[in-house]
Amino acid sequence: MATLPHNDIFQLVREPIDTVALAGVVRAPEDGAVVTFDGFVRNQSHNRPTLYLDYEAYESMALTKMREIGLQIHEKYRIHRVAMVHRLGRLEIGETSVFIAVSAPHRAAAFDACRFAIDTLKRTVPIWKKEYFEDGAVWADGEMPPAPAATPRAKPAS
Amino acid sequence: MPPVSQTIRVTVLFFGRLKDLAGHAEDSAEFSDATTIEQLFALYAARYPELAKYRSSVVASRNQEFAAWDTPLRSGDEVAFLPPVSGG
Repeated sequence: MATLPHNDIFQLVREPIDTVALAGVVRAPEDGAVVTFDGFVRNQSHNRPTLYLDYEAYESMALTKMREIGLQIHEKYRIHRVAMVHRLGRLEIGETSVFIAVSAPHRAAAFDACRFAIDTLKRTVPIWKKEYFEDGAVWADGEMPPAPAATPRAKPAS
Repeated sequence: MPPVSQTIRVTVLFFGRLKDLAGHAEDSAEFSDATTIEQLFALYAARYPELAKYRSSVVASRNQEFAAWDTPLRSGDEVAFLPPVSGG
């Protein structure tokens, strides 16, 4: 597994995510809490029965953005380790698409960091899902990532 | 002395719905004059009119970082056009 400062784990995978193993990997004797988020495929979308989902990513950028989220939550919250894994390709109903585990000495930081991590992932990480139904497929509605409005201009020499 | 004109060659990536509309995931483009990301998108929007309809919901990146539309391109850049993200 790829490791980074803090021994965090950030991965894009095409196989089922081993959620139990990941929740175990982040815990250490000095911790008192692990908070996990398990996002999985719902059986309907806007009351239409879903058959399955297909996820794709801009993989190099997605991993960069996931690592940035890890750095942000280490700065904002007193946490120990983070594991953040997103699955790509075809996923069936009930299969985990994203899993985040955060360990910390105390629960409040772990809850807050895990919530911030999934909310930020859904807004900034370039991953897309296509929803397949009985009568066709559509790209899911998404969120616009925050992008700079204009490039900063170099100051003219005075 | 005027700057020497150089060819700017960039890789262009399309994802999600934009990939479907452009008909391919990856392309390369060449310019002999200064060009921005906005102008690059306009080039493809002219070629694939369906793309133009989505302009207001597209976010661009340059070398894996979100980028403003007025960002000038440099040779070797990897530019991607990203529809609203829907991971999770």
